[in-house]
Amino acid sequence: MSFKNLIISISVMLATVSGMEAGAAEKIDVDSILHQIDELYRSQSSYSEVEMEIITPHWERTMTLEFWTRGMEKTFIRVLKPKKDEGMATLRLGNEMWNYLPKTNKVIKIPPSMMMSSWMGSDFTNDDLVKEFTLFEDFDYELVEETDTGIIFINCIPHEEVPVVWGNIVIAVREEGYLPVWQKYYDEEGNLARIMTYRDVRAFDDRTIPSVMEMVPKTKEGHKTIIRYLELEFNLEVPEDIFSLRNLRSGN
Amino acid sequence: MHRPEPCEHIDKKTTMLIFLKLAVRNLFRNKRRTFIAGSAIGLGLAALIFSDALIIGMERNMIASATESFLGEGQIHHQGFRESQAVEKTVNNEADLIGRLERHPAVDHYAPRIMAFAMITSPANMASVSMVGIEPELERHLSQIDEAIIEGEYFAEDEMRNIVIGRKLAELLEVNLGSRVVLTTSQAHSGDLAQEMFRVSGIFKFNIRQMDRGMVFVQLPRAQRMLALEDQVHEIALSFTDKNFARIEKNEFWKDFSTDGNEAVSWTVLLPEVVMAFEYSDFFTYIIGLILFGVVALGIVNTLFMSLHERMFEFGVLRAVGTRPWAMGRLVLFEAAALAGLSIILGIILGFLVTLIVAGTGIDYTGIEFSGVTFRELLYPVMELQQFIEYPLAVFIFTMLVSLYPAVFAVKISPAKAMRRSF
Amino acid sequence: MLTIRMAWRNIFRQKRRTILTVLSMFGGFALSAISIGWADGTYNRIIEMFTRNRLGHIQIHAQGYLDKPSLYKKIDDYEAIGEKLESLNGVESWTPRLYAAGLVSVGEKSSGARIVGIDPRREGAAINFEKKVIEGKAFSQEPSGEAILGKDLATSLEAEIADELVIVSQAADGSIANDLYIVTGIIESGNAVDDRTSLFLHLEDAQKLFVLEGSIHEIVVIANKLDQVSQLTDKIQATLSDDDLEVLPWQEFARSFYTAMQADKQGAWIMLFIVILIVAIGVLNTVLMTVLERTREYGVLRAMGTRPYQVFRLVICEVTIMAIIGIIIGFGLSLPINYILSQHGIAMPETFTYGGIEFTHYYSEINAHSYYIPALTVLLSATIVSLFPAVKAARIAPARAMRTH
Repeated sequence: MSFKNLIISISVMLATVSGMEAGAAEKIDVDSILHQIDELYRSQSSYSEVEMEIITPHWERTMTLEFWTRGMEKTFIRVLKPKKDEGMATLRLGNEMWNYLPKTNKVIKIPPSMMMSSWMGSDFTNDDLVKEFTLFEDFDYELVEETDTGIIFINCIPHEEVPVVWGNIVIAVREEGYLPVWQKYYDEEGNLARIMTYRDVRAFDDRTIPSVMEMVPKTKEGHKTIIRYLELEFNLEVPEDIFSLRNLRSGN
Repeated sequence: MHRPEPCEHIDKKTTMLIFLKLAVRNLFRNKRRTFIAGSAIGLGLAALIFSDALIIGMERNMIASATESFLGEGQIHHQGFRESQAVEKTVNNEADLIGRLERHPAVDHYAPRIMAFAMITSPANMASVSMVGIEPELERHLSQIDEAIIEGEYFAEDEMRNIVIGRKLAELLEVNLGSRVVLTTSQAHSGDLAQEMFRVSGIFKFNIRQMDRGMVFVQLPRAQRMLALEDQVHEIALSFTDKNFARIEKNEFWKDFSTDGNEAVSWTVLLPEVVMAFEYSDFFTYIIGLILFGVVALGIVNTLFMSLHERMFEFGVLRAVGTRPWAMGRLVLFEAAALAGLSIILGIILGFLVTLIVAGTGIDYTGIEFSGVTFRELLYPVMELQQFIEYPLAVFIFTMLVSLYPAVFAVKISPAKAMRRSF
Repeated sequence: MLTIRMAWRNIFRQKRRTILTVLSMFGGFALSAISIGWADGTYNRIIEMFTRNRLGHIQIHAQGYLDKPSLYKKIDDYEAIGEKLESLNGVESWTPRLYAAGLVSVGEKSSGARIVGIDPRREGAAINFEKKVIEGKAFSQEPSGEAILGKDLATSLEAEIADELVIVSQAADGSIANDLYIVTGIIESGNAVDDRTSLFLHLEDAQKLFVLEGSIHEIVVIANKLDQVSQLTDKIQATLSDDDLEVLPWQEFARSFYTAMQADKQGAWIMLFIVILIVAIGVLNTVLMTVLERTREYGVLRAMGTRPYQVFRLVICEVTIMAIIGIIIGFGLSLPINYILSQHGIAMPETFTYGGIEFTHYYSEINAHSYYIPALTVLLSATIVSLFPAVKAARIAPARAMRTH
């Protein structure tokens, strides 16, 4: 799953919450939902503590990470567990990325050639942390159906020149509370390439949202990445010096 | 008795002619032997001519395979670009350079290119590739991308989102014609990532692994835009009207165009392995050539001695009748010359025919990779005028040299002994 | 037998004629023997140098590794395999290797690289690793965090001897592999791609980094003799009898090199064929003349009462004996020459270095077919050619024969 989508998903949850507050019981206004997502996305800052479980045919690993984000440009991630990797950190500023490795006490800048390779071994790529596209502007979307099950399906088709490889992304949103259920990514031939599922709705701060996201690529056998939110805070004051190279080494 | 001597009032030239005629007639007295010996020598010559043509053909094929698919016979870059592949090192004074290239008589075609490292993604997979921005129409005359297209088209229309990829890459990415892909690259100077969406408009197959798996072609302006390199290029590939032009390293051309911080090099610099392979096989064939000469020499010596032997009695008579010793030697030499002459004519005709026939059909080497070059076409022997002048001349001189031995022998014949031989 | 004795005496009666005939035979033999030895020698030399010095003669991998390399397709019990290999006749040496990819960083510069873990002792013995090191030194025997870079990789990282180097990658258990190393050497392998992407570590260092203790990806085997590689491959396969392993000779894992050599060899063989053809014609030439000249002589024999078939036999006999003498002399001449050429070779006009190997001389080779092919050529051309005049000599009316010449 794209890291960005992780953030979008958070935003979707926020948007739906706000939408709810604005009395969304009437006709579903997809336009404003997506619009809101983008807007909220843009002004977002957050802190979260996340447990990431990676499953591959050869090994399984669980890491605990803390994330700080500000806007679209700045991300800081630090590894808390396992002990072996404790203190590892990643800083992203705009299009650039650095990794810090406590064992060797080195900060390495990730060269463009490595941007597409996996981040920390997960199904995310370094590039996922950097990619920019907005659902509202870059996609054409339409409401597919409202079923009796209370789930809305929105089909998003990217505009011709948007640099994404997907033919379309179908988003399933629960009508009640506008909580996302899943996102399915298709290639242009209509083959399913990945599925992102959302579950375990919990209360964070003052919100109620899915706390678990599971990403399963359909083109690789036996791979899965599961993200569990342990803590989540929004719109907090994130000090600017969090997003600095110096912070990479501080290991606090 | 009357001595057969050349008359003083007949000039040298006519004398020569008479002797030559005599020699030829002597040769034809024993048609069979002359024919057999002549064929041996002739075949040897034909072999030399054919081998030479074959080698030239092979070299030419290798050069063509190496340069015509994509490389070009020469390239111009910013100094240092070849080693570092740094995106910022673009060709200096590009417009000026192109103007000079267009006016230069030796240059046949040129093609400007952008080359940068990029990542390509598809829904199924991703890969690292070399993104090459080309001007399709200029490129068409220089490289063979357009000929290597097996599916789709080679940049028809001015569609900027077209991308042409190799068959192996298409398989890896699990894409087909019309599929959507994204190229990511890092911009010049800032290092910012740039991403653009493309549609696969053509799939090529060069049978060269690196190209089929590692290269993608896009329109030059789009590549320039992605890299934030307006109007600049990384490489100008060249082809020349004379195919041997690029092999001459001392050529002024390379110096002339290596100005302003640029560097112009020939393919010989870009593909040293090929040059090495040539030199290796050159020496090898040189040795074989020597051996071939050796075999031919044997044939000549043998023939001449045989003929001498057989006509021992006759020679004895000649001497007894008063022919000077040196005249005997001259007789042998003339016969050798006549034999050589005839054989050479035979050899030239044979060599010409065989080379012509094989040049018509070609030898199949396609798909074989050697020294980093994959053969893509049939091998054709190449006839060159010098083959028909140098080799015959060498054979002639050689024959004459070798015939000195029997000639000297003839000089030393004692009449009495010779006439005592009953055969 | 009478025929043979007669043939023998006939031959030596006509010294000059015999000498000339035999001359073309042994000359032709010697020259073609030298050419073939030369051609074989040159090619086998190249193959030997490439395989012995870089690729190895035989490689062993986990099944499917070559097709789709992966960190996880490993060979686990390689010491045991090594022992079995050493017990085999024909195996000169073997060396294990580990392959992985990662991010390498020196100072501010970083680049993707292919990481190769090698066993210094074995690799040195098998593939002459030390010879390719152009700066610094080769590995210490014990794992000491040393790293040796391909020369172009070193350039792009602006790395120098004694610089600190970081490797980051993903280990086999999924964790982030990262550690520090010291650049202790720079290597030039001759292969541009290798030089631009390869970084070498002590095998144990690499195994620790990637959490692959006790495992490797490849075993390279060097055979005693190049021409035994195919048999040795089968022997190894049989001895190891493990379906999870694939044992491949160089002709398969270096397929493109192999086909290129074959193609080039073919070209050379066309040339050799021409040489042999000329030799055959030369022999033809002289034998034909010899026999035809003596039509009168044979006529006398027939007049004296010799049966046709006896004359026929006589002619064939003479020619065959001459051919054999020619072959023996030719052999005696070409053997020492080939021997010298194979030991000392001919110095090349310009030497060149490729892949850490210096090519200075061309070498010939002594082998079976540089002798039996010329022998066959001489023998066959001589006997076949003499058939025609032998028959003619046998059949001719004595009176007419004696009237010729």
